Formats: sequence, structure tokens, C-alpha cells
Amino acid sequence: MLRPVKSFTPLDTDIAIETPEHIVFRHRVAGPARRMVAYLLDLVICYGAFAAVAVVVFTVAFGTAGAGATTESLGASVGFLLVLAFAVQWLYFAVLEAWRGTTPGKAAMGLRVLTTTGRPIGFREAALRNVLRAADALPLAYTAGCISIAGLASMVVTRHFQRLGDLAAATIVVMPHRARAAVAVVLWPPARPEELARLSDGVRLDADEREAIEMFLRRRQQLGPERELELANMIAPALGARFGLPSADPSRTLALIYDRAANAGRGDAPPSSGAPGSWS
Amino acid sequence: MELASAPTEAAFAGRRRLDWERLDAVVRTAQRRGLPALTPEQVGLFSPLYRDVCADLAHAQAVRYSAPLVDYLQGLAAAAHTVLYSGRTMRSVRGRRSWVRVALEAFPRAVRRHRVAMLVAFLLFFVPLFGGLVGSLADPGFAARIVPESQLRTLADAYREGFDAQRGAGADAAMAGFYVNNNVGIALRCFATGLAFGLGSAFYLVENGLATGAIMGYVAAHGAGANILTFVVGHGSLELGAIALAGGAGLQLGWSLVSPGDRTRVASLQASARSVVVVVFGAAVMLFMAAAVEGFWSASSAPATVKRGVGLAMFAIVTAYIALGGRGSAQAEAMERIEAGRWT
Repeated sequence: MLRPVKSFTPLDTDIAIETPEHIVFRHRVAGPARRMVAYLLDLVICYGAFAAVAVVVFTVAFGTAGAGATTESLGASVGFLLVLAFAVQWLYFAVLEAWRGTTPGKAAMGLRVLTTTGRPIGFREAALRNVLRAADALPLAYTAGCISIAGLASMVVTRHFQRLGDLAAATIVVMPHRARAAVAVVLWPPARPEELARLSDGVRLDADEREAIEMFLRRRQQLGPERELELANMIAPALGARFGLPSADPSRTLALIYDRAANAGRGDAPPSSGAPGSWS
Repeated sequence: MELASAPTEAAFAGRRRLDWERLDAVVRTAQRRGLPALTPEQVGLFSPLYRDVCADLAHAQAVRYSAPLVDYLQGLAAAAHTVLYSGRTMRSVRGRRSWVRVALEAFPRAVRRHRVAMLVAFLLFFVPLFGGLVGSLADPGFAARIVPESQLRTLADAYREGFDAQRGAGADAAMAGFYVNNNVGIALRCFATGLAFGLGSAFYLVENGLATGAIMGYVAAHGAGANILTFVVGHGSLELGAIALAGGAGLQLGWSLVSPGDRTRVASLQASARSVVVVVFGAAVMLFMAAAVEGFWSASSAPATVKRGVGLAMFAIVTAYIALGGRGSAQAEAMERIEAGRWT
């Protein structure tokens, strides 16, 4: 059974999903502002398309019909457009979300609808959450359909920004995040013997230190030399002192320390890991 | 040391990257062009590749590889999970039967499953309807307090004219479109506002019942009673029935919040919404059919006796369908109970 993981989690707008493979991954849940923009985009697309079709239909109806048949074709066009207006109002969102999991407006804002267990939604969920927009629009259902007071209140109160339709259909709107594969941080040029000699064996960094140094090493190509020096000097002297490495070049010191901390004891580690030849 | 045999991040990524990229390609194809666009080789590879990436992710987290690598693997696993587990169970439930048949059987069963709410909805709709009818027959000023007088007069004039003056196919189509837009919209709104503890549905049911009754009474009091009866009888069972059913679905939704039983309110709402949405689909389809009948048949110049006969036949068919449709399909019924979370 797939269910959201209940454990200590940081105060954030993520939702953790545990898969049958016992992998836990997090989805970033989309907030009201982004979803409002997506909704407005969808409305523009819908009613823009509707207006375009209406112009075409009326042009054809008036243009091709003779004088006697005009009322007939006019009536037929009105009937068709009323059905289309119904489709725009009640079917557009449901059909697109059931089919693609997203609508053009949502896709433009990088949003996707999932069930609370992290699966794509089916037609039932899509229909339910979109029919219930009428409840989210309360108490202004007739006057201002796109200002949803009840929906906004519900999003504020619930953990995962669910409006009423989301609550009933057990759905969430997430921003799937596809990071590009990053190259591992590699010490370059490789550690020289004299550097290795000075670096102590027991280099241990806690998670925060590791992350800070790694972020710095990944970004340092984009920094100016002065800025790089300035940033490195904020922690390099302290860490250098801790591991007995005098910081002539603070950036290089950080790179050495990071390399040893990250690769110590790893199977095919470079010499800087301080375990010479033991894991070849 | 437990991490002793782990490779360095660069070596690990170098060794596994090819598989990650293959999975990424499969997922992107599936997301962009759907599962049927995958080649047989891709389908065969999909599940093993996904499981390998899950293992890679677990490994990367356990030996504390850098955050970007873990992020990348998480994003990849999440995207693949979304595609792989998009399981639709309907195929196994419906077996070899067609969608249409499953839907045709599920709808009346869903109505009967929530018969108490449906009964309440019918009372909330038809009692005010008869009240409005009797009220405006007895007192000519009664209807004007519910529906604007000008609108009432237009309707009364229209019904007095009868149906012999054919209004043409164009006007028929326009009216059918109007009925779709207006009536299905009312039904859906009537359902949705039931989320407010059923109050919205109750309001719409009473309001629509009262107005419908008042209009019929007013028109009848102004000498067109036979005509409006002939008009309404054709589509009435479909249209009025569907509005009441949609309202009943809304009442059920609201009741699940008022009395959640031994579940949380949200869980109770979700279970009842899943089960009741079938009724809303069915009501919407009934209203589409009603719109077609109302636009093209009810206002036609067919003889009144034929129209009334057809109307009675429609009533009998709709009632029999709701009462008897989908009985005896024990397997589907059991599945629906499990879905609704009721095991007994």
C-alpha cells in the first residue's frame, strides 16, 4: 500500500511519497499564487478559443446562408456555441487533466495534478476536482467565478495547498522537478604528494559543512577571483586549522578537504582520500 | 566501515549514467506521446531500469553522495514512478465487457446505493414543486413573487400559442444548446455546492422545484395548462429526475461531512465523493438526452396524445432503469463496495 510517509519532516511545502520499492521522494507542492496564474492562463486560452470559434461560426452562418435561411443557420450556430460554452466551462479542465495530467496553463507554469499517493489522476478524480470548482467559488459562485474564497481558505488551512475539490478527489498539484544530472566534484589538478603529506587522515565534515563547500566548489568558476577568495576565506582558515592544513590558497584547501571527506574509504578513490592503495 | 566498498561519486555516476539516460528517454517518450508510443524493447526495459534507479537512489542517499546527484535521481525516479504506476484498474474489473455497458450498470447501482439521500433530494425538489404549482393555481400573485412577472407573461403567451406554428430546426438547435448549457450547469452546481454540508444542494433543489412549480401553475392558470403538460411530459422524467439525482449526490457529499462515522471527515468525504460521482456522470448524461428531447421533440407539432404517450413510456423506462438496471452483476458490485471502503 502506497501512502505518504509520516515521520519528522522539515517545515516545508513538500509531500513525501513512499513507493513500493521503499524509495521516498518528495514533490514540491504548488502554492495558490502559481496556481492562480495557471488558472488565468487557462481561462484566456479557453475563452480566446471560444471567441475565435464564435467569430468563424457566425461569419460562415451569415456568409453562406441566403436571406431566407439566415434565421435557421443563426439558430443552429447559437445552439452549437452554447454547447461549446458548456464544454469550455465544465469539460476543458476535466478532460485535459484526465488525459494528460495537466492543462496548457498548468503546463506553462510547470504544474501537474497527482493523487495524494503520487499517482496520475484518472477521469473520476479529474471530473470531481473540477466540478467542485463551483463549491470552491462559494460564496461568490455567480458574481465572480474566478475569485474562489472558499478554495483559497481551504488551501491556506490544508497542509498541501488543497482546495475543496482537491480534498474531495484526494489530489494535489505539484511542480515536478527534473534536475539535470550534475557532474561529480573532482579535485583538479590532482593532489600533489606534499599536499597529501600535510593533510591529516581523519578528515570528517558534517552534512552542512560538506554541502556548503560543495556548493562553493560548483559555483566558483562563475565567481570573480576576488569574490572566490572572499568566500573561501570565510571558512577555509577555520577548517584548515582543524585539519592541520595551512591555507595559502583557501580555495585549494577547501577542495582538498572536500575531496578527502567525500572519497575517504571509497572503492576507486583518488590518492587524496588518504587510504593509499587499500581499495584498488 | 560500512561505506568501505562504495565507489566514489564520479565512478558510480560514470558506471550508471547510461542506464539513467535510457530510463530518462523512456519516461520522456511516455510523458510526451503516451505509453503506446513505447517500443517493445522500451516496455521490457522500463520496469527493470526503474527498479535499478530506485536502488541507485537508495545507495546514493545511504553513502551520502552530493545533493545534485541525489536530486537528479529523485526527479528521475519520481517521473518514472508517475508513468509506471499510472495503473487503471478498470480493465480488470470490467473484464471483457465494454465501457458503455459498465457505465450503464454502474449508474443505477450507484443511485440505489445512496437511496436515502436520493429520496430526500426527491422530496426537497418535488414537494416545493407541487407547492408552487398549487400555490400559483390558487393565487395568481403567488408565482410573481418567485419568478419575475415579465418572464411569466412571456412563457404563458408562448404556451398559449401551442405547437402548430413550427419554429424551425434552427430555433430547435438553439434551444437544445441552451438546455445543455443551462440545465447541466444547474445540476453540476447543485451537486458541487452540497460540499457545504449539503446546504447548497438543498437550496438549489428547493429553489428550482419552487420556481418550476410556480411557472407551471401560472401558465396553467392562464389557460395553457394542457399545452405545458404536453410540453413537459416528454423530457420531464429525464430532466427533473436528473436534477433531483444530482442534488441527492450533493446531499450525500454533505452528509459524509456531517456524519463521517468511524473515519476522519476528509477520508469520509473522499470515499463518498468517489462513489457518488458516478451518479453525477449519469445525471449529466440524462440531462444531455433531456436537452435533445426538449429541443427537438417536446416543441414539435406532433399530436398531443402521441407526445403524452411517449412521455409516459419515457417515465416508465427511466424508472425501471434506475430501479432494476445493473442488478445481478455481483462481481462489479463487490468491487464497488471495496472501493467505497465498505467491507460488510
